Amino acid sequence: MRVEKCFFCSSPIYPGHGMQFVRNDCKIFRFCRSKCHRAFKKKRNPRKVRWTKAFRKAAGKDLAADASLEFEKRRNVPAKYNREQWNDTVKAMKRVEDIKSKRQAQFILNRLKKGKELQKEADIQEVKKNISLIKSPAARAQKLEEKMAQVIKESDQEMATE
Amino acid sequence: MAASYNFKKITVVPSATDFVDIVLSKTQRKTPTVIHKQYAIPRIRQFYMRKVRYTQQNYHDKLSQILDDFPRLEDIHPFYADLMNVLYDKDHYKLALGQINMARHLIDNVAKDYVRLLKYGDSLYRCKTLKRAALGRMCTVMKRQKQSLEYLEQVRQHLSRLPTIDPNTRTLLICGFPNVGKSSFINTITRADVEVQPYAFTTKSLYVGHTDYRYLRWQVIDTPGILDHSLEERNTIEMQAITALAHLRAAVLYIMDISEQCGHNLDQQVELFNNIKPLFANKPLMIVTNKIDVIRREELSEENEALLADLEKEGIPIVPMSTLSGEGVMEVKNKACDQLLAYRVENKMRSKKVNSVLNRLHLSVPQQRDEKVRPPCIPEAVLQRKAAMDTDKPKKKTERDLELELEEDYVFDMKKRYDLKNPEDKYDPIPELWEGKNVADYIDPDIMKKLEDLEKEEEIKEAAGEYDSDMSDEDEETREIRSMAAQIRKKKKLIKMESDVRRKVQKPTLPRVARKDYNVGEFKSQMEELGVDMADKDNAHFKRARSKTPTGLKRKREASAEAGSRARSRSVPAGKVSRDQSGIRDPQTQQKVKVIAKNAQKKMNQFGKAGESDRFIGTKMPKHLFAGKRKQGKTQRR
Repeated sequence: MRVEKCFFCSSPIYPGHGMQFVRNDCKIFRFCRSKCHRAFKKKRNPRKVRWTKAFRKAAGKDLAADASLEFEKRRNVPAKYNREQWNDTVKAMKRVEDIKSKRQAQFILNRLKKGKELQKEADIQEVKKNISLIKSPAARAQKLEEKMAQVIKESDQEMATE
Repeated sequence: MAASYNFKKITVVPSATDFVDIVLSKTQRKTPTVIHKQYAIPRIRQFYMRKVRYTQQNYHDKLSQILDDFPRLEDIHPFYADLMNVLYDKDHYKLALGQINMARHLIDNVAKDYVRLLKYGDSLYRCKTLKRAALGRMCTVMKRQKQSLEYLEQVRQHLSRLPTIDPNTRTLLICGFPNVGKSSFINTITRADVEVQPYAFTTKSLYVGHTDYRYLRWQVIDTPGILDHSLEERNTIEMQAITALAHLRAAVLYIMDISEQCGHNLDQQVELFNNIKPLFANKPLMIVTNKIDVIRREELSEENEALLADLEKEGIPIVPMSTLSGEGVMEVKNKACDQLLAYRVENKMRSKKVNSVLNRLHLSVPQQRDEKVRPPCIPEAVLQRKAAMDTDKPKKKTERDLELELEEDYVFDMKKRYDLKNPEDKYDPIPELWEGKNVADYIDPDIMKKLEDLEKEEEIKEAAGEYDSDMSDEDEETREIRSMAAQIRKKKKLIKMESDVRRKVQKPTLPRVARKDYNVGEFKSQMEELGVDMADKDNAHFKRARSKTPTGLKRKREASAEAGSRARSRSVPAGKVSRDQSGIRDPQTQQKVKVIAKNAQKKMNQFGKAGESDRFIGTKMPKHLFAGKRKQGKTQRR
């Protein structure tokens, strides 16, 4: 039993799902659902359809080239079962998966950093321009008056003590 | 010429009524059907002539097809001609075909006559009756052929079921009394499945089987048993056997039952043999004594032995066999085949075609250059295997043997023959999938090394601070700014929404000054929100310094009129009356009004109908939540 990759969107195809198309040159196309199958029949290029993994990798939205991605590769030569090797592999798989997801998440965060800065600047501009909608200048003037009054009082007191 | 003896391609002969139906319905479908009496007369004539001619043509074609398909007894091999005569009676067959031919001719004539008459038809009615007459006559001609058509159909069906016997190839012909074992013999040497039963005349027609010998295909023909009487008294079944004997150039195996279980003793069998001897002229002959498992030749009585010895003296080989035990069957076959081959080769050598064959036969042998003997090289293994085959050594123990041995306890264990480095691993359950990934894709002899490298890289990255979250610039100030910006945006949206609502209304509007939506209390609360202190602003002039209307006067009038509602006059602005008190003169009527209002609500409350404030769901099943496939995602939510 194998979990295959959808040709169009690269999502996993579990057994019992999806469709396969075998072309006359013996190339097999697997699809996870009829959405991908219909898109393929319409001759859409997955590299241009925004929601597919192929687009995301090609457009640099997702991590494409990394050491942690090299571990999962389809081997065409079957290996004989060896308990130790299989145990090691399962353990390694889990660890690799952790690292891979961490790196993928970090990649996306890095990409979005620029957006955060822009947002910060936009906030500052917004506040500068339209602060009067939430804090009236009259309030500020009042506060200023009070402060002045207090300052005068204090200076008077000082003068009085002196 | 085997193809010409395939009688399966004869067209089906329909019965008379069917024939008529077919042709007439075809005429109706394939010719135009609409005609009116106001059409021009040549057009009408042509219409009906076309129908008559079409029907005639159809009949002609179909009958010609039948006549062509049925074989002509002169043109086929005399064996088949004779066989057909035996089975179907040559005269009857020829008569039937002759009748069909005659019918065809008659139909043609009818059509010719009526077309000639139609040329002079002067009205639609006359043309129509002529056409009806023509078609009617053609159909009666056909109906009279009922018997012939039935007979021909039966002939066709039987003919298609005849076994395909090639009269020119190597053939072995088996004959003898009924029940001697001819069908058993053919069942043994070929894959034919002829019925074998204890009663006489089990085999009622010729059967063909095929067998191989010396890389050649041999036909073996089983015949029905022949009884000993003269030719005129023979019935159809026996005649088939006689026909085969007479016409096929084959090796004849005359089977005798020396145990006399067939119901006839040896004298009778020998008598029959002598009677049909003329049929064996020019054919390699062999006498086969069957059922030797019952009685052997040596055990025979003196007279019988003498009879057989006589036959042998004439040069006919007598071979013993038993189809029941299988003893001697192969020898009989081989001997018969060899005999026939020799005969055929001899014949070919005598004919003129020999040279063309001989030219192609030449065995070249290399010239001997020295005295050394060079025998053919046979590898050891082959010799050993040959030896093994001969001595009938016990074979390797197969799974099937094991299964039979253990019976109920047997379990088919696929994994016991696995070839692994460590045989203890054989029965391990192998994990295939984890979290949607195939474990087999990660198998690599260096995987641990690669993992180490990866971990090192990871450590370096972490040390370099790649994974540190940038919450460092999230100090107090930035957070404040962010929240203020959010408030500003929210406020802006609200303002926009309000103005949208106000602007969309298209009633005639009063100027802003005259509108009464400027409320001091609201103004005060708004300013409080914006942070201005409005506590002690009693002396402030929020509205016009001097009001237009003489407010004092109005106030006095209202105060005197409504004494009971003084409590209300402060919260309600001057001049406004609350809804439940407008139009009411005194407190008694107000009580009455209250009671009336409550009574009016009683009925509705009793019915429990939904009111304005009750929950109302516009669409219970919005399409976007209840339609579509369960695409990738959990089924807990759609």
